[in-house]
Amino acid sequence: MWPFDIVDWLMLAVPIAYLFVLIGSLAVFSSLYRKRKAASAASLEPWFPPHLQRNVYMSLLHMENPKVPDSILKAALLRRATEDIHRIVQVRNAKQALQVLLQRGSVGDDLWKRFQRAEKEIEEELRDVVSEANAFAPNWGQTIFQSASEMAQNTHIRERLNDILSTSQSEKEWWEKRKATIQSEFMKELDDEKEASVVSPVKGSDDDAVLVEGGGPADSLKGKKKKGKN
Amino acid sequence: MSGTDYNYDEQGQFFPYFILTMTSLVTIPVTYSWLKPSKELENTATRINSDFNPEHADLIDGQRKKQKRRERRFKRMLTSLGGWLVIAGMIYLIIVTTQAEMKIYDPYEVLGISRSSSEKEIKSRYRKLSLTLHPDKAREDPAQNITKETINDHWVEVSKAFKALTDEDIRENWLKYGNPDGKQSFSIGIALPKWIVTEGHGKYVLLMYAIALGVILPYTVGKWWYGTQKLTKEKILITSAGKLFREYDNEQGESGVIGTLSSADEYNEVLKGPKAEQGLSKLESRVLAESSPIPAVLTTKDRQKLEDLDDSRRRKVLTLLWAYLGRIELDEPALNDEKYEVAPIALKLNEAYTSIALAYGSTRAVLSAYHTSQNIIQAVRPGASALEQLPHFTPEIAAAAEAERSKTHLTVQEFMRLPVQERKARVVKPGLLTEAQFQQASAIASQIPVLNVERAFFKVVGERFVTPSSLVQFVVKGRFIPPGAAGIPQVKPADLEDIDPEEGDLSALRKDDKAGEKPIQPPLAHAPYYARDHAPKWHIFLADSKQGKVAVPPFSFSTFDKPILDDAGKLTYNVQTLKMQFGAPPQPGTYTFVMYMVCDSYLGMDTKMEVTLVVEDASKAEEVDEDDEISEPDEDTIAGQMRALKSGEVPGSKPKKRRTDNDDSSDGSDTEGDVESESETDTDTDEE
Repeated sequence: MWPFDIVDWLMLAVPIAYLFVLIGSLAVFSSLYRKRKAASAASLEPWFPPHLQRNVYMSLLHMENPKVPDSILKAALLRRATEDIHRIVQVRNAKQALQVLLQRGSVGDDLWKRFQRAEKEIEEELRDVVSEANAFAPNWGQTIFQSASEMAQNTHIRERLNDILSTSQSEKEWWEKRKATIQSEFMKELDDEKEASVVSPVKGSDDDAVLVEGGGPADSLKGKKKKGKN
Repeated sequence: MSGTDYNYDEQGQFFPYFILTMTSLVTIPVTYSWLKPSKELENTATRINSDFNPEHADLIDGQRKKQKRRERRFKRMLTSLGGWLVIAGMIYLIIVTTQAEMKIYDPYEVLGISRSSSEKEIKSRYRKLSLTLHPDKAREDPAQNITKETINDHWVEVSKAFKALTDEDIRENWLKYGNPDGKQSFSIGIALPKWIVTEGHGKYVLLMYAIALGVILPYTVGKWWYGTQKLTKEKILITSAGKLFREYDNEQGESGVIGTLSSADEYNEVLKGPKAEQGLSKLESRVLAESSPIPAVLTTKDRQKLEDLDDSRRRKVLTLLWAYLGRIELDEPALNDEKYEVAPIALKLNEAYTSIALAYGSTRAVLSAYHTSQNIIQAVRPGASALEQLPHFTPEIAAAAEAERSKTHLTVQEFMRLPVQERKARVVKPGLLTEAQFQQASAIASQIPVLNVERAFFKVVGERFVTPSSLVQFVVKGRFIPPGAAGIPQVKPADLEDIDPEEGDLSALRKDDKAGEKPIQPPLAHAPYYARDHAPKWHIFLADSKQGKVAVPPFSFSTFDKPILDDAGKLTYNVQTLKMQFGAPPQPGTYTFVMYMVCDSYLGMDTKMEVTLVVEDASKAEEVDEDDEISEPDEDTIAGQMRALKSGEVPGSKPKKRRTDNDDSSDGSDTEGDVESESETDTDTDEE
């Protein structure tokens, strides 16, 4: 056939092979690169640990037999909202610091990516909670986070209080010990003074002075005792 | 140049020169950087005289030596040695290769007569030579390789030389071009051996190119790039920085910081493979035993966290850190060695932690980070007595020294302020310290540099007022007064002033620069348990006590402007000046800050002081001091613009400052090191 016999197939194959190799290698590179990037993005650790309260709420919601009463579901939703409050506070606090550190080169880009993902996640989570709340009662979505943040505050304060109260036992023990040592020291001092006054009786006026001095620490001792009992 | 051939270096005569130049371009700088004495502060500072040897001094020294070896720059040594070998080889080649080609044409030499010969002598010499060398006279001698050709050539040379000395034209040619024949063709040599371009070798050369450009170059660039990508600015691993950030908590105290520092990946180097778990159970039983001081330091939360750790390596790291801070004997040399090895890593990580704390800006977190640095360097657990930094002081001895048994601890300064008899009575007892040990501890205590703040104030260079948005200098004047020093001279009031150099007084400005050139270093930190040399640093920062936030980020000082010791080794009590600059607030008013000065190496030497910055309204300083009028910068000059920006006003309308003192009160300082409570400072601010 006419056009085909004059074509030198071998010579034509060379540029085609060249193009094939070129485009092929570029394609392989791009697909590998994208896969690696996707894999590294997927392997990023999540910012927050698994959302326990949300999981509890979800499993309660999907329990069919027997149906979970609404009151329990509402309580679970509130718990979930409280945890969300904790998380959003963390995210807000961290954002500015992280931006500063990122600019300075003190943290890596991965952390920033993880953070942004966490931020998006929490936004979605909030929206979800609001719509769930609205499903239970109209307009509850607008107030649920207010109550949740109050709950979070309350738990926070109670924790602090417990922390402080938990030290009271050891503080009390320490104070009892201290009191005992102070007392014994004063008693010893008083005894010493008595002995001294017995051994060497001195003129009346000086004796008075000694007595007054002796009374000083005893008074303060009484005061301290009172404090200790309170 | 056209039409000339390029000659390759066939005799290998120029090639050595080329290689020599190239190698020395690399070798000489590398050798310099290898042999150059290190300018690091750790290598130039003096040391505190101490003959105290802690337990396991051999292990600690071993760690120090390991670090030295790491710093010895082996690669540079090898490169420079190799470079010098190549240079030596090339020089040898240059000497050996004959340089026949390079001879300058000299007719006297061809004729074989001296340069001072007269024309007559030349002529007679020529005639004499013609008798033997003329082609008609000379004999061929195959034995000595003399043929007709060589005889002819030689004769031509001789007659040319003769003409060059006698004939005017030819002589001119010789003088002008160095050759009696006139201008010679110009030749250019390439200092490459010819075998590079000869046929058959091309593929090898191409291969070398391919390897250099396709393999070595991308590899080195990639290695450098990914190397920088892996480390943060603080030179810790990116992954570690991420973990530190995740674990960071504004509220946590020193023990929490220690827990956070254990999360980093840097320890993997130390605890490789099976080491990650070896001896963990023994270690834990030691550290958490009833008799060890550590359980008392850990809060219930920290303890819970330690027990919940799943990663055995991290668990070991954290327990090792606590063992180090509690100075707990671990019985096994391997464990003890690891104990001393983790501390320097933790300190480096703590630097990164500090920068995170600064980014959050919480005063409490920043102070926790600084205190952790002190704890790590001195191997003292958080909340322990500062006296434990002294040699031989164990918790029991420190408790005996404090005697008062109150909840707060004595600092070294307070302890040394007690009379010697009192001190001795408290600690020199059977079962506590011996007399010699007490003397040793006192000797070291009296060498610790404690920076005592004498005055702290704000000022703006060249102005009497601090105006809104101006560049304020915070000047701290202080003296080094070691604990227990006696006979401290009064501070001269002049030393407490900070006088600006006269405007245009360049010599004063230059003197300032010079002072920066030759700074004075305090001695290295006395840290017998810390397996590195550490130059102490002083951090100064201003905090807003009402919000608990850092207002002016810390400036760090590791060198000072005046000698601490004189030539005889005596204390000079010079007043040191520390300056930090920041932008003043944009609104006029009175701002009260709390200044914190924290030394990163010694415990209980922090200074906390209230300082007040009075920012005056720019318009308040109305009166113009006409005599003082220095040409106000025009609106359209850069200086004018700057001024406008600085003052926030239209230039020209703004008059000069009135010359009155801006007085910044510096209220009482407490050097108690009790920096946790800030309630007292809150109430003080109302006085203003």
